[in-house]
Amino acid sequence: MVSGTLPETAISSYAASLKEKASLVPALYKVIRENFSDLLEPVCHQLFEFYRSGEPCLQHFTLQFLPELVWSYLSVTSGRDPRCSGCIEALLLGIYNLEIVDKDGQSKVLSFTVPSLSKPSVYHEPSTIGSLALTEGALSNHGQTRVVYSGPHLQRETFTAQNRFQVLTFLLLCYNAALSYMSSPSLQSLCQLSSRVCICGYPRQQLRRYKGISTRMTVSSEFLVQLITGIHYALCNGESDLGSKALEDVLYRAQLELFPEPLLVGNAIKSSLHGAAVKSNKEGTRSIQVEITPTASRISRNAVTSLSIRGHRWKRHESLENSTDSPDSGPVGPIPEISVTGVSGERVANGEALRNRPEGQPLGGADSGADSRAEPGDAVDLASPDELMEIAEVDEGFCSQVVGGSPPSILISSTPTGGAKSAAKSQRRAGGGKGSRAEAQSESGRDQLSHKPAGGRAMSENLELLSLKRLTLTASQSAPKAGSLSLSRTASAVFSRSFEQVSNALSGGSSAQSHTHTSSSLSAPETNRYSACSLQEERLALAAEHKQRSPSISIHLSTDL
Amino acid sequence: MTARKSGSRLETEIERCRSEGQWDKIPELVRQLSAKLISNDDLGELLLGEAKLQQYLKENPIKQGASPRGIRPKLVEVRKHLTAALDRGNLKPDYMQEASMLMAKLNYVEGDYQEAISQYSRVGLDEMQLVGAPVYRLSMIAEAYATKGLCLEKVPTASPSLSNRNTDREQEIITCYEKSGDIALLYLQEVEKALSAGMQNRSPKPGPVTQEQELGYFLETGLQRAHVIHFKNGNLTRGVGRFREILRAVETRTTQNLRMTIARQLAEILLRGMCEQSYWNPLEDPPPHSPLNDPLRQGSYTKDYTLSRRPRVYTGENLFCPQENTEEALLLLLISESMANRDAVLSRIPEHNNDRIISLQSASVVYDLLTIALGRRGQYEMLSECLERAMKFAFEEFHLWYQFALSLMAAGKSARAVKVLKECIRLKPDDPTIPLLAVKLCIGTLHWLEEGERFAKMVVDMGEKASEFRAKGYLAIGLVYSLRATDASLRGMQEEYQKKALGAFQRAQSLSPTDHLAAFYLALQLAVSRQIPEALGYVRQALQLQGDDVHSLHLLALLLSAQKHYHDALNIIEMALSEYPENFILLFTKVKLETLCRGPEEALLTCKHMLQIWKSCYNLTNPSDSGRGSSLLDRAIADRRQLNTMTLPDFSDPETGSVHATSMAASRVEQALSEVASSLQSSAPKQGPLHPWMTLAQIWLHAAEVYIGMGKPTEATACTQEAANLFPMSHNVLFMKGQVAELRGNVDEAKRWYEEALSISPTHVKTMQRLGLILHQLQRYSLAEKILRDAVQVNSTAHDVWNSLGEVLQAQGNDDAATECFLTALELEASSPILPFTIIPRAL
Repeated sequence: MVSGTLPETAISSYAASLKEKASLVPALYKVIRENFSDLLEPVCHQLFEFYRSGEPCLQHFTLQFLPELVWSYLSVTSGRDPRCSGCIEALLLGIYNLEIVDKDGQSKVLSFTVPSLSKPSVYHEPSTIGSLALTEGALSNHGQTRVVYSGPHLQRETFTAQNRFQVLTFLLLCYNAALSYMSSPSLQSLCQLSSRVCICGYPRQQLRRYKGISTRMTVSSEFLVQLITGIHYALCNGESDLGSKALEDVLYRAQLELFPEPLLVGNAIKSSLHGAAVKSNKEGTRSIQVEITPTASRISRNAVTSLSIRGHRWKRHESLENSTDSPDSGPVGPIPEISVTGVSGERVANGEALRNRPEGQPLGGADSGADSRAEPGDAVDLASPDELMEIAEVDEGFCSQVVGGSPPSILISSTPTGGAKSAAKSQRRAGGGKGSRAEAQSESGRDQLSHKPAGGRAMSENLELLSLKRLTLTASQSAPKAGSLSLSRTASAVFSRSFEQVSNALSGGSSAQSHTHTSSSLSAPETNRYSACSLQEERLALAAEHKQRSPSISIHLSTDL
Repeated sequence: MTARKSGSRLETEIERCRSEGQWDKIPELVRQLSAKLISNDDLGELLLGEAKLQQYLKENPIKQGASPRGIRPKLVEVRKHLTAALDRGNLKPDYMQEASMLMAKLNYVEGDYQEAISQYSRVGLDEMQLVGAPVYRLSMIAEAYATKGLCLEKVPTASPSLSNRNTDREQEIITCYEKSGDIALLYLQEVEKALSAGMQNRSPKPGPVTQEQELGYFLETGLQRAHVIHFKNGNLTRGVGRFREILRAVETRTTQNLRMTIARQLAEILLRGMCEQSYWNPLEDPPPHSPLNDPLRQGSYTKDYTLSRRPRVYTGENLFCPQENTEEALLLLLISESMANRDAVLSRIPEHNNDRIISLQSASVVYDLLTIALGRRGQYEMLSECLERAMKFAFEEFHLWYQFALSLMAAGKSARAVKVLKECIRLKPDDPTIPLLAVKLCIGTLHWLEEGERFAKMVVDMGEKASEFRAKGYLAIGLVYSLRATDASLRGMQEEYQKKALGAFQRAQSLSPTDHLAAFYLALQLAVSRQIPEALGYVRQALQLQGDDVHSLHLLALLLSAQKHYHDALNIIEMALSEYPENFILLFTKVKLETLCRGPEEALLTCKHMLQIWKSCYNLTNPSDSGRGSSLLDRAIADRRQLNTMTLPDFSDPETGSVHATSMAASRVEQALSEVASSLQSSAPKQGPLHPWMTLAQIWLHAAEVYIGMGKPTEATACTQEAANLFPMSHNVLFMKGQVAELRGNVDEAKRWYEEALSISPTHVKTMQRLGLILHQLQRYSLAEKILRDAVQVNSTAHDVWNSLGEVLQAQGNDDAATECFLTALELEASSPILPFTIIPRAL
């Protein structure tokens, strides 16, 4: 093991020959596992030298032992017996300190570009995608943004309880970046590491019949996510048994720790593998299988889909435009309107269906979806139905028309235009979130000027308007930063204005603004219970009011079917 | 002339029908054609043969994986037509080729693979012209290649030959399929172009309006079989390359579904089978030695053919080309998502049940993959936006709701997360994790304690069913009670909640004796109710279970300080700091202890050290860049959020603890005011998350306090000014200014500062106490008494407030009550820690 004395050219062939030495790798695993062996120190030293050489093959050789090294380190630390982990610690820190800097010794920042459908790519053209979800987020991401996902990191001389998992998480990130080069013993060892870290000291340890240390180990959420990433690879590349056990164990621990991030990723992996074509055939390690799939749409033509209903809506909408005095245009005839489409893209002129039913009766009817929220005892807070509405609000198809003019009114509609027969459908459909939404509608009656939800919506639209304007201004520069900055400034200015009102409310003065506030509907002692969310809504309402007075901009975004 | 003209019109009409697959119209057209010229008879035979064959295949489609079933009576007629066309030899060479290809196809359908192959070799597929060929012929050629590939797969190699013969054969098969796929894509693009041109030219278009074209068995096979074989052979690089070629071709209506499937499959491969280091981007050649390829099967298939015409690919300036596997996976998934979303079946009528399930399945696979990709990169804000779009599928679908809730939670959108979690609880009432997640949010950033209590009770009420989560449930409810006790303004309420909290923690601890958190919170609760020795016992137990838990160590130090063992406390803090060198809460406590034990100079050194740590921690990451939010709005919210999740001790607001409802509101107001105020100054504090700046302000204020203790008003003013530059309207800053003014003997100014501080944070006990004392000095006893009584209501364990109240009462001549107060103060002082126990954050 004298890589230092070899000439440059010989290093890669030496690295290749390392792989051939079949007995070497298991022997090294044994040394690391035993932990008290005299060989540990020279082995760690040599592994570090390999890593430092910069030769990819040698680096991968070292990296394959990483899970075992991490386990060895963690088991020693949890036993609070720091005698022998010294050289493993040094090796791990050494790799970490090498990896956090680039070639020039600058702190490395790992970043990636969040792709956006609004920019053409090698795989698509924005126009064919149809109208995109024009959320505020989508707009601020107009054009790709680069996002930093790791780094910069500090150099570390020692492990402390504080930095332990930062370092280990970063090391796993490096390991995961080289997963394709890892042998199956290494993947197995990763799965074992995951299981053990997660279950030691918990009742499940008996289930897995692991007898080693039995003290609980602290973990961090990011660490678990990195473990899951590795496990996912192992699961799909020949280690399905160990892998699925490990995944279960990590999920178990994530549940106990109430970590949303690993739960999120773990659940997704579990559900995506369920019934997927991943077979655990032993001979071929790479078991990704693809079958010929029928290219015809499997969805029957007469089913109402987002797409089909959108086409429907447009026709209706056009006719609406043409005849403003038609009965459909609602009680407030020629008032400029912002029509917003609901959950599923269905859109109706105001309360067409609502008109026919007694006030206050939930639209969901006997549907189970609506009744849990309909209980008066469940009056958690006033915002509840609206919150759910917000959830339901995202839709790719939206159309907004701001036709200038004073008192702007906002019409929200909630029944499909499916014609006569769809009225029955809508009853069935209006369950769950939609049910409560319909409820909110029916409560506010037919001359609804339900400000708050409308404000929220109008806000998002107006933000869109605003940024659209900005986009056209800065389109050539393709400098989303500049645009977004000033946008944020606007937002924060509005935000601080809304704070004045909060402070008004706090000092007992009621806000005499023209629009209704969340705050004014809350009782006085509760005013200080502003969540970030309600503040946001407040701001939305304000901004909405702002913008509607501004010169009218009319955008027409549509899918061209 | 007219005949010729009508003849050519007829020909174009025939061509159109052939390219659009309208076979039922052919017989009629052929009749017209034969009427024109005798020599058209052979062509007529060809057309009739083709039409009948295609019609047959339409009626009896070949299933993927099924072999064709020999001779069929219906096909006899086809053969007759084709033989007639071929035998007479009057056809133009182009038509001859077509007839041969059709014959070969017929042979395949009838199961005569060998004959089909020889037919194809006679035609010379590779010589066929693609440039300038009519659209329908492109389809024929594509089908021919696919059929040839199918035949070659069926016919065994002649001899049990050498392995390289085998790989040659495989290479040939794959090349057939790849060519077929390429030409098929070209064909589909051309058809679409012709159709849209036709739509524009002919105003009232005869016949059905653009019925959706179906690909049919042969084209489907040609498009997909090549990559299927690549993956079967373990040749991942070629398979991925093939996927990318198909996806880069400009989309047509017919390929949409294929693209959606392939985009998803490619994303799966990128996420499951590749890593950053083995990735190569779509415009690069794959690396020659990739770990992705099965090393056992070294047959290196290279693409070794060229076509005279290739399908159009997406081109243009500034095309986005992914540079990383996650980027590519994300791009593909976003494309798939937009398609899956469009196909969401909305109707709930039973007839559409199946459709709905299909659309749900295809969408949820995409959303799961999106979750994996975005989760890896920590982009939870963007993920929550994506999953929000999935909500149109989510009616009664637990998985989608739950994932959405988790993504909101991970993105820090707590309020909405709680609402969505509620729906999850309704869908799955037996899962204890969900209400526990909700409690975590409620007692954390939201401070919705009533709601939290309700969720925690759900878990407790599950009883044995909750198994391991039962202890967690008790822990949760204990925390809720504990926080409510801190919030309560009436002493009776406070005590009641404290008792309840203690009970719950005891229960949790007995249910899960190996959980250090249970022992720790029990200790903390005992400490808050000033049962110091008992608390010490439990905190030791917690430390035995989890030796390096920072909060346990901190509590131990505070408990020791309550027993006035300041040196021991300092030792513990220093030990804890060796494990958590950058923990500012510990450092703040250290400053306090050092002032007592080692004098203010040491404490000042620690302040300086803190500034250094702050610099190394936050200067490295430019705070304005570290916002991981995907959208501005989120980022703005995230900033406020960080303000609220601050686990730093609310300096000099210790009595009320760090998460007191009113102090939360106060800090928001303060923040907003500071923002306004500082925007007026030129040296506005930098944008970005607030946490680092809050910390910095705290450090300066601590230093100022030390200087005040030393009686150095100038330095204290300088430090306060530093903090004021960051947060000019912070009540802490205003309080400190008041202290400095007091030190200078400027009572009126101090009073003014204190009043300003209270107008921002009306329950700031320290300010109340100081203001009370000043009023006492000014001999405004009843007002002083009022303020001090309020302060005692807010925090009944603040001994210095009791003491001040005693003094005020004494001055008013109310000696009995004053004695009472002094005794209380004395008693409380005996168990008072250096900083209140409630600075230790309480969270699940």
